[in-house]
Amino acid sequence: MTATAGTPVLRGRRILVAKPGLDGHDVGAKVIALALRDAGAEVIYTGLRKSPEQIARVAVEEGVDAVGLSVLSGSHRELAADTIDGLRRAGAGHVRVFVGGTIPAEDFEYLRGLGVRGIYTSAMPLEEVVASVAQALAERSP
Amino acid sequence: MSAAPRPPLDRAALGRVLTRIANAGDPAAWSGPVAPPARGARRIGLTGPPGTGKSTLVRALAAGSLAQGRRVGVIAVDPSSPYTLGAILGDRIRMGEVADHPELFFRSLASRSAHDGLADNLPGMLSAMERHDFDELLVETVGTGQADVGVRALVDCVVLVLMPESGDQIQAMKAGILEIADVLVVNKADLPGAARIAAEVKDTLRLRRSRAWEWVPPVLLASRDDADSCFALARAIDARFAWRGDADDETARRRAGTAYHAKSLLHQRIETLLGELPPETFDLPLREVHRALVTRLSADPDAVD
Ligand SMILES: Nc1nc2c(ncn2[C@@H]2O[C@H](COP(=O)(O)OP(=O)(O)OP(=O)(O)O)[C@@H](O)[C@H]2O)c(=O)[nH]1
Ligand SMILES: [Mg+2]
Repeated sequence: MTATAGTPVLRGRRILVAKPGLDGHDVGAKVIALALRDAGAEVIYTGLRKSPEQIARVAVEEGVDAVGLSVLSGSHRELAADTIDGLRRAGAGHVRVFVGGTIPAEDFEYLRGLGVRGIYTSAMPLEEVVASVAQALAERSP
Repeated sequence: MSAAPRPPLDRAALGRVLTRIANAGDPAAWSGPVAPPARGARRIGLTGPPGTGKSTLVRALAAGSLAQGRRVGVIAVDPSSPYTLGAILGDRIRMGEVADHPELFFRSLASRSAHDGLADNLPGMLSAMERHDFDELLVETVGTGQADVGVRALVDCVVLVLMPESGDQIQAMKAGILEIADVLVVNKADLPGAARIAAEVKDTLRLRRSRAWEWVPPVLLASRDDADSCFALARAIDARFAWRGDADDETARRRAGTAYHAKSLLHQRIETLLGELPPETFDLPLREVHRALVTRLSADPDAVD
């Protein structure tokens, strides 16, 4: 690659876009996946209805830097907690976790407390989501 | 094959080492361990034009081998955007519930700077996988069709996957990917035209093969929902492995693998150096560009560490 102005912000990052839980709508997840790709990331999508254990296993096998959970079912609290726990037990506690979907503002604090690094609702412009993910990945581990 | 008890698959360790190798640049990429004299795992490559069903057949082959108690590793490559280097790695999704099997390991790769159907540092990643007691390694190439010839140097059996709509491409493939295949499959045989394509491929191959001692690549029909056809493919691959087996051959394959590895690392290095040369260099005569490149190239790799 020749050096050009503006290296894509997510170049060299590997990101798993995951659909845990029972809701069957993945349009949002796919839109995010494409936006992350266009920012230079290598993106893997799990497909629908994966358990937190399955997501943790894929994160380990694929060597990702981050997992983005897309949850529309309202179970984001349990699913985020179980995924973060699953990642730790699978030896991938360093993987950053993001949550997107229909997340009420009153749950933000709980999710942050679990270690979720970014929370995105459909109201947020894609460029902001991408910028926020890039920034969180650039920060050192806590 | 599975007589001796083997250590459980250390998924986390393998995941980490593959990431390290994937991201290694000069000179670290050159200092990986020497490939073992004999391969511990059967290596099978699946190649062919986009959308012909490579991943679907990877799933079928993996499921069959896992059912026989084999440990199976899969490396599946998808293309990187030449502009952003971003990629959607979509092969995994075709694995379905097979992805959950405890003796399976699946890694998706983006091609990055490779243009031959594989990915940067893939040879080193295969070697690393061999140290985790796999019986079988499946490699799915990018799927550009004609250009995906890199896999030949790294696997023992190349499966070319076509489909009924591939008709127009066969002429173009004559002198390329068709020549490197050990087994040919016309997949999606449930769709019209599969038998005609298979006949056409057989004709094309017949024109070339004349020496009696050469392996004659079988041409099979397969379809996703026909378990017998997937089983027949697995048996054709087994036959290919049974057919080879003299020691010289093993040495030749190992050498070809190492030569390929060196070539692909050099290719990556040259691409980087070309990006680093001051733009004015390219106003000079070509031989001066060559000289500048060689000077920088010979400063490596040992000087760096
Ligand atoms: N009708 C039919 N469709 C099939 C068959 N096998 C696979 N497909 C479909 O063909 C499409 C492509 O299948 P994949 O397995 O992803 O093909 P691929 O060669 O891996 O594709 P790329 O990696 O994108 O090049 C999917 O929609 C499959 O469901 C088959 O035997 N019959
Ligand atoms: Mg595929």
